[in-house]
Amino acid sequence: MQNSQLQSNLFSTIIWLLLFVLTVTTFSIGEAGISGKAAMLALLAITMIKSQVVANYFMGLRKTRLLWRGIMLGYFLIVGGLIALAYMMALK
Amino acid sequence: MKTHDTIPVTTSVVQSDMDVSMGKNEGDLPGDFAIWIFIFAEMLAFGVLFVAYAFSRAKNVELFNVSQLTLSRTSGAINTLVLITSSYFVVRGVAAIKRGFSTQCAYWLTGAFLLGGVFVSIKLVEFNAKFDAGITMSTNDFYMFYLSLTFFHFMHVLMGMVILACIIVKARHGGYSAQDHAGVETGASFWHMVDFLWIILFPLVYIIR
Repeated sequence: MQNSQLQSNLFSTIIWLLLFVLTVTTFSIGEAGISGKAAMLALLAITMIKSQVVANYFMGLRKTRLLWRGIMLGYFLIVGGLIALAYMMALK
Repeated sequence: MKTHDTIPVTTSVVQSDMDVSMGKNEGDLPGDFAIWIFIFAEMLAFGVLFVAYAFSRAKNVELFNVSQLTLSRTSGAINTLVLITSSYFVVRGVAAIKRGFSTQCAYWLTGAFLLGGVFVSIKLVEFNAKFDAGITMSTNDFYMFYLSLTFFHFMHVLMGMVILACIIVKARHGGYSAQDHAGVETGASFWHMVDFLWIILFPLVYIIR
């Protein structure tokens, strides 16, 4: 097996492990019953990292034009931002 | 067992040249462009629902928080891990076909397909528990969003499994090669979208409060 193939497989495995750890972190925050602004923002930040990792490294968008990566990032910033805004409104 | 593996392609330069020869340029989206129109449309539809959920919750925080506690976070988390792992299998399947390993690709995609089955099974158990408890979409606003969002996503998982099944059959018959694998990338992109959407849905509906 070529070195480049081994490296590519190892890299995707590391990405999978990162997603696994971030999912367990999200679950742990939920199980701990932590709520409030800081918890909400932390959970959204974790979700943004996960979604962008999937878009860039699993969907393969990191090799595409900036436009496509921008759409995926912009999507999360708009949707995630509006979700954060709605939760902030609820906290008042 | 008869295999359909073609001569492996070993250098990224050759791979890049082949992509160009198949009408693909550096920087293009993977797979068929048409699937991306569909993916962006689906993301928009889910995005509207996610935001609508958040603003509906803002109007009735207590109801949403109490109802959210009736959901199984464990099922949601396991399903997230299942989808992430299936996406990883799909990545490996695409990597295999890019090097001409058709049978290996079929094996990885079969793994992803089976994990899709695990997701569907867990979701069915979850839906069944809710219906047994007399919960429907008209019970309250939270359950209306919970059931519609998760069922809408559930249907996408089923659609993704059908797409994966078609690709697996074709791959097993040697229908893809290192030079011609746009179909695999197209199906993979759809499957990753299903994963991408669940990654947002899970914390939003099951965790954040």
